[in-house]
Amino acid sequence: MIKWQINYRLRLMLWGILFISPTICFFIIFKYGPMLWAMWLSFTAYDMVSTPKFIGLYNYSSIFQDPTFIQSLENTLLYIVVAPAAITVVSLGLAMAINTKVRGARIFMSSMFLTNILPILACCLIWRFLFHPHGLVNQLLNPLGFGRIDWLTNQYTAMPAIIIVTVWRFAPYFMLVFLAGLLAIPNEIYEAAAIDGSTGTSRFWYITLPLIAPIMFFIIVVSSLLCARIFLFPYIITGGGPGGATRVLSLLIYETGFFYMKMGRAAAVSVVLFVIVMVLTIIQMRAFAKTEEH
Amino acid sequence: MEWVGMLPLAALTFLIVLPIIWMISTSFQASEKAYQLTTEWIPSVWHPENYPNALTRWPFPRYFLNSAIISVSVMLGNLIFCTLAGYGLAKYRFPGDKILLLLILSTLMLPMEVTLVPTFLLIHKLGWLNSYKGIAGPILIDAFGVFLMRQFIMRIPSEYIEAARIDGAGEFGILWRIILPQCKPALATLAIFAFRDSWDQFIWPLVAVSADEYRTFPLGLVRFSEDFANPPNEQMAIAVLATIPVVLVFWILQRSLRTGFTLTGLKG
Repeated sequence: MIKWQINYRLRLMLWGILFISPTICFFIIFKYGPMLWAMWLSFTAYDMVSTPKFIGLYNYSSIFQDPTFIQSLENTLLYIVVAPAAITVVSLGLAMAINTKVRGARIFMSSMFLTNILPILACCLIWRFLFHPHGLVNQLLNPLGFGRIDWLTNQYTAMPAIIIVTVWRFAPYFMLVFLAGLLAIPNEIYEAAAIDGSTGTSRFWYITLPLIAPIMFFIIVVSSLLCARIFLFPYIITGGGPGGATRVLSLLIYETGFFYMKMGRAAAVSVVLFVIVMVLTIIQMRAFAKTEEH
Repeated sequence: MEWVGMLPLAALTFLIVLPIIWMISTSFQASEKAYQLTTEWIPSVWHPENYPNALTRWPFPRYFLNSAIISVSVMLGNLIFCTLAGYGLAKYRFPGDKILLLLILSTLMLPMEVTLVPTFLLIHKLGWLNSYKGIAGPILIDAFGVFLMRQFIMRIPSEYIEAARIDGAGEFGILWRIILPQCKPALATLAIFAFRDSWDQFIWPLVAVSADEYRTFPLGLVRFSEDFANPPNEQMAIAVLATIPVVLVFWILQRSLRTGFTLTGLKG
């Protein structure tokens, strides 16, 4: 009767391992394997036709001297700093607007969330039309005194256009997270402050803001992770232009690998992007670990 | 406050939703209107034939079918494997379980944008390019799903499980009869996000597919939009059609969504 002699705990352990093993195998094959391969590839020159040629650090030294790469890196970093900040501010504003006792707030909230449900490609196409010189954006800005702005063909307005689309798409999503945080603040705190004679603005700065600071930090980091990976917005709306003004790293990876067929070089750029994402993820995990302690 | 605040809030919402209204309005207009200097919000002449025209001009029914197959597969893949792994991590102790959790979570650092080139080479070597398994395979399981299910299942009291074991239930039986019924909000959340994300998938199918019969609708729509002979209004018609399935999925599962959302944190 060996079945009964097998340790109960051992049996459970094996079941646990069984449950998790398909997923672990999957990640080894489709995540870790490729990443290691990318690192190896980054030290080679490979065009898919001939065999990979080992060239050491050449790809890295080459890209860091390449103005196109530097521009992509700058674009990505600029985007990672500005877009999450804008998203955070706007989504907090939206959350506070919804969090008032206004009739039908829930309907408004769900309607805003549509921007996040809309297929992302539809979002890109719509905004490509809206930012056209004759498009809706200029039509709305005209009566306000703005002249015709060539949003997508002017190197100074192209990135802001992409940022606007990004905020439009993600602010309502993060609004929900802020809302959860705002709702968690007990009313008694506000009532106590009101008794002490605090006004609206001081209520915000001294009560609301400190209490949602952890969530705010979390949102900043998560949205930067999203922004580090961004591909579709610049690809569809501006094609990375004008003059590479909106070419971000993921776009450069795609172009280098699948347009110029320089797989090794593309892999090197991928590693750079990976480092950026890794830093942001570690920050996020630390922040999350802190909240787990509550 | 109740009624007074409603007007500015409605105006704000309207402004935010305006592009979507534009999309719907444009999809019913004639093709000359898209670049006009003023927008005609309610079409003076309705052109519902944009829809069947767009669908027949390019093989969009096929594209939508491909997208549906991929999205449903990815949704199921996530539901099955994330639940299994989440359950294993939540309720079982074995050597290395903490490390494996960290390992799984760290794959969040390896999004498709970073692993694009090697994943392509891998699928190429497997001969899976231009096939459903090639498209759905690399995106079948997401670490977020594992994490979501783990966090959720951790909250289920272990007493239920131990009691069931004492009663002689098998491990799969426990999962099926005790854990799963209590997981409905989390499962709904997972299903929605997995479906939505794979419905939106672009960069991977872009690279994994070159044969037209396997294109997903985003790929088809982009090529459609790049062909200048194709009217913008028909592009919007396709966009509207593409929105409907996702809205449906959200609407059906949205009640469960609210519970599951705030439990864990975030996903991209």
